Amino acid sequence: MTRNAMIDEWYPVGLASQLDAHGRKTALMGEPIEVRLGEDGNAKVTGGNGRVLRACIRYGHVWASLGDPQKPLFAIPEADQPGRRLVDVGVVRVRCSPLRAVENFLDIAHFPFVHTDILGAEPHTEVQNYKVEIREDEDEVWATQVQFYQPQAAKSAEGGITTQYMYRVPAPTCSILYKTCPPRPGEWDVITLFVQPLAEDLCDVWPWMALFDDETPMTDLIHFQQTIFVQDRSILENQIPGLLPLDPGMEIPTRADLTSVAYRRWLKRHGYTYGAQLVAQ
Amino acid sequence: MRLSHGFVRGETLSCIYHGWSYAQAGNCLRIPAHPALTPPDTIRVVTQPVEDGGGIIWIPAGEPAAGPPRFDGLAPLRSMMVEAGIAALETAAGTKAAEGLLDYTHAGRTVRLLLTLEGKARTLMHVLVDQDSNPTERIAASRAAEALRRAAEHVAASGTAR
Amino acid sequence: MKLYDYVLSPSCYKVRLMAALTGVALDIRPVDFHPGGEHRGPELLALNPAGSIPILEDGDLVLTESSAMLVYLAAKAAPQWLGNDAAGPAARVQQWLSFSHRLTASLGAARLHEMLLRPGNIDALRGQGTAALRELEAGLVEQRIRGQRFLASDRPTVADIACFPYVALAPDGGVLLDPYPAIRLWSRAIRAIDGFIEMPGIHRLHELKPEPVLGGGEA
Repeated sequence: MTRNAMIDEWYPVGLASQLDAHGRKTALMGEPIEVRLGEDGNAKVTGGNGRVLRACIRYGHVWASLGDPQKPLFAIPEADQPGRRLVDVGVVRVRCSPLRAVENFLDIAHFPFVHTDILGAEPHTEVQNYKVEIREDEDEVWATQVQFYQPQAAKSAEGGITTQYMYRVPAPTCSILYKTCPPRPGEWDVITLFVQPLAEDLCDVWPWMALFDDETPMTDLIHFQQTIFVQDRSILENQIPGLLPLDPGMEIPTRADLTSVAYRRWLKRHGYTYGAQLVAQ
Repeated sequence: MRLSHGFVRGETLSCIYHGWSYAQAGNCLRIPAHPALTPPDTIRVVTQPVEDGGGIIWIPAGEPAAGPPRFDGLAPLRSMMVEAGIAALETAAGTKAAEGLLDYTHAGRTVRLLLTLEGKARTLMHVLVDQDSNPTERIAASRAAEALRRAAEHVAASGTAR
Repeated sequence: MKLYDYVLSPSCYKVRLMAALTGVALDIRPVDFHPGGEHRGPELLALNPAGSIPILEDGDLVLTESSAMLVYLAAKAAPQWLGNDAAGPAARVQQWLSFSHRLTASLGAARLHEMLLRPGNIDALRGQGTAALRELEAGLVEQRIRGQRFLASDRPTVADIACFPYVALAPDGGVLLDPYPAIRLWSRAIRAIDGFIEMPGIHRLHELKPEPVLGGGEA
């Protein structure tokens, strides 16, 4: 491989609401970058040598690419539906591979042990069969018909319910979860994990949500999602090996891990290997 | 995921991440995501023989012919990590370790230290005291060990280990 | 009693934990500390000009120091958490309550730096945190030699609650707890107290719950 395919992808680099002319220094895949509000009112992102990177503002965040993205940022049509509350959860830094952060987001079997009494609880540990596919037209990983018993699925949920899930991976470090929306049956809540790769073993994670929930105060919605993600953080920082293995052999997948298996296969197929290891070490 | 973050119920060790449980022999007993599945015998974790020798937990390197040493008349007090190698500890104590034990005399009392090298400049130090020491003597021994650690780390930091 | 609270703040958690252990019901007022910075806004600065949380409000009493909140909750609802009032044990409680601020300034600041991108000299903070953990470890070893499992006596006091959260969350700031066996035993003893509640980053002891009988079809 001569060129890292992930160079040409879009990554979140800051909250749009916190953009200012003063600017913020951060990094993207090892390169120092600066994110600021440009004089034209758009986000201006500059790379290590002062070159101007491609940038856009979408889904509450500033997005940038070190390379030359062939496609615009992926679409989340539901995010534009009227009536949704858009929730900037804020950044959490994690000392882990950006790909590990996404993979963990796709996993439900850990809910009873890591998000105990919120997203899962013993003895309701069984993961029922679900469908996984790599959709060739969109070039995305999808898991559908996922369901899990949850004691408190959302801030708006009262009591335990069997929650329906769909997972979508439209970019190597981004995932979107569609989840049962307790106040509005028939619609899906949108919960995303946008991951900014700082290094192969370090990332800034920017969760974001688009919910139908007119009742819950915004701060409660933020705190609920921060609770969930910070429960994951200590797990993510203790994964072995640190880099995500894309070749089989190091870890033993079961039926519950089919989303992860498809995600790893899709990453390998595209050469999305920043934060991955190819040969079992 | 490190199993040291996990939990022990009865005789099984479970991983904190997905709750997979392992028996003492290392075989996987249970995968909570698939309660009806009997885990294949190929799913196992590496196990390590351990022995409790007079309150000290030992694991073998290779296949030793005999069991772990016993330190008759001594009782283990505490374990401490020292950011220094054994040479720096010897310099600080003013004595040489013999058969893994270093004697350190401080304020007229002697504590015995069982040393395990954890890295190039890091030593795990187990503090042993006379088994009939009273609490006051044990507290003094613990404080003496702290003093030795400070001295050894000073030696290591200033590069004066002999 | 109203607690201005942030779910990821170990200092706020001290108060939530103490309230849970003493059976006090709190009226929780969530503060958008991150990303919103609400603690530095006019409403909260009017209550606490220092711009920190937690803030505990009870009638016209406004407390802005978490150690004072722990003492207040214990004195009101469960005085056994204040410890023995003999000179030695009472002084030990005060010693560790004061010491807990060093944990906040070192391990707490390292965690904010590593997790929420706050400024700080991370190597210096970790060094200070390690020094504090060594002191706590030595203190707990001596307590165990005296036959006492907690910082000031054989039962937990406000001192233990003041020190526990930043210690348990030290790995969040990149300071591991592996070298401190007495601290790990003490942390387990605290998490095993009846009525203990967790916070994100501090996992509960799953071993306290019996192994469930799984037969499938549960979900």
